[in-house]
Amino acid sequence: MVEVSTPVKWLLRLLAIGYVFFLVAWPVSTIVREAFADGVGAFFDIFSDEQVVNALALTVQVAVQAVLINLVFGVGISLLLVRYEFPGKRLLSALVDLPMSVSPVVVGLSLLLVYNGRDGWFGTHLEEWGVQIIFSGTGMIMATCFVALPLVIREVVPVLAEIGDDQEQAARSLGANSRQTFWRITLPSIKWAVVYGVVLSLARSLGEFGAVKVVSGNVANQTQTATLVVEKQYQSFDQAGAYTVSFVLAFVSVLCIVVVSILRPKEHH
Amino acid sequence: MSIEVTNVTKKYGDFYALDDVSVSLPTGQLTALLGPSGGGKSTLLRIIAGLDTADSGTVAIEGTNATRLPPQKRNVGFVFQHYAVFKHMTVAKNVAFGLEIRKTPKAEVRRRVDELLELVHLSQFADRLPSQLSGGQRQRMALARALAVEPTVLLLDEPFGALDAKVRKELREWLRRLHDEVHVTTVFVTHDQEEAMEVADEIVVINQGRVEQVGSPDELYDEPASDFVMGFLGEVTRLGPVRLRPHDVEVGVTPGRAGAIPGTITRLLRVGFEVRLQVELDRELGGGADPVSVVLSRSHARSLDLELGSKVWLTAAVGAVTVPAMVAV
Repeated sequence: MVEVSTPVKWLLRLLAIGYVFFLVAWPVSTIVREAFADGVGAFFDIFSDEQVVNALALTVQVAVQAVLINLVFGVGISLLLVRYEFPGKRLLSALVDLPMSVSPVVVGLSLLLVYNGRDGWFGTHLEEWGVQIIFSGTGMIMATCFVALPLVIREVVPVLAEIGDDQEQAARSLGANSRQTFWRITLPSIKWAVVYGVVLSLARSLGEFGAVKVVSGNVANQTQTATLVVEKQYQSFDQAGAYTVSFVLAFVSVLCIVVVSILRPKEHH
Repeated sequence: MSIEVTNVTKKYGDFYALDDVSVSLPTGQLTALLGPSGGGKSTLLRIIAGLDTADSGTVAIEGTNATRLPPQKRNVGFVFQHYAVFKHMTVAKNVAFGLEIRKTPKAEVRRRVDELLELVHLSQFADRLPSQLSGGQRQRMALARALAVEPTVLLLDEPFGALDAKVRKELREWLRRLHDEVHVTTVFVTHDQEEAMEVADEIVVINQGRVEQVGSPDELYDEPASDFVMGFLGEVTRLGPVRLRPHDVEVGVTPGRAGAIPGTITRLLRVGFEVRLQVELDRELGGGADPVSVVLSRSHARSLDLELGSKVWLTAAVGAVTVPAMVAV
């Protein structure tokens, strides 16, 4: 390690702490302060608002389903990317990263173009069969899946690559078929990467705004998620409500990360 | 015959890893696949195990055509160079894996695991994780795990390659004793001729995707079928028109014997009980100006009163294994 003089050391620390404080800690802490500005009682009053409760329930429903879908496909695609050679592998790998770089609003619009019931490529046919995607839960889950897609994969892929396939081959030679090998050997080895990916996906899914706003139609009590409620309340000068729901969202996300960091070290003992 | 490999070819792109290889490995024996790195011996072992597939040719194990069987249906035990331990399971769980997959009753599993851990001297480590074991212990655990399923054949891919020299030597002797106890048909891959000669009943020498020779360690050493086998199984030097082992060169200090080639000692090195000489020949005989290497015992060297610059006359010892030297083009 390069030796740095004491004043420089302190300056660097101050800079790092200051940066994180002004960018993250302070703004988030004001949310906490505002949420409890009128006391704990006022904070819990918000849960008697039917619109807020419905929005929170919908958010959880959409997020949980999106996370489950991303869990299955994420682990599957990771195995495909690490364990198999096939033409187009690099393209698939690049596509998986796409949601990281594309703005969620664009994601929403593109889904709208393909699946809307009036002139969408698939949407019109699906509508004939009575399947509505846009302005319904299905579309919201799809949009959320899209934006959270890379999170499980990017956690799992490096771990899979690192453990190699020696253990899987050993299991095969001992008589395990591919299903047994996956459940008994592969999955336990990548367990923590999967948990981390799921938590990140969950946090991301709960907070998704842009893509969901475009495809949901933002109808109160029907297709309005928690983030959409925050925006609406804020615009209709119900700041207290907006802060409270924001706090709930932030709290759940922080809780996810705290729970995982408590669980994780146990692995090493 | 326990394993019949017939006309197996395996290509990676343009490279022939195995080129029309046919070999029979006898039941109950310990066979070594010996050859230089990249010669195809590991590929052959993996094809026998079903971990790789041959482009053409067949593999039969105990009379059953196994060419198209997946690895889990071949009933082979496989031991990997880097152990391939199941990191998240205890030693006992590792060993029990194959039995649990086969839905063996719990009591029976426990009995077998205890028995095997006893066999590989790891009983007191049953509840540890593999990360708490040394390399040698991990490899013994991997061996117990492979033996647990009572395989028809046990295949070991450079099993001691990742271990240090001392542990390697211990485990090698231990493997030999283990094989004498359990008698399972065993095939192991190695690039170390000493390891192969010391442990194996039979050696298959593989080079550049082809089988060079099959035979007992003595046969290979005494009657090498090719220049390559001779060179791979031990040191070789060239004396006039023939190639032979350095210890088969007879040294005389007088020009008495017929056909003796005169030369001068240019290097003299004592290593433990032996003395290694480099002798520069006086005149070229049959081409090749390289000095001749000679190995003799220390007492022999002392009795001849050899030192640097001594004049010596070299002959091939009576009964020495020789092959004609290849004519340099």
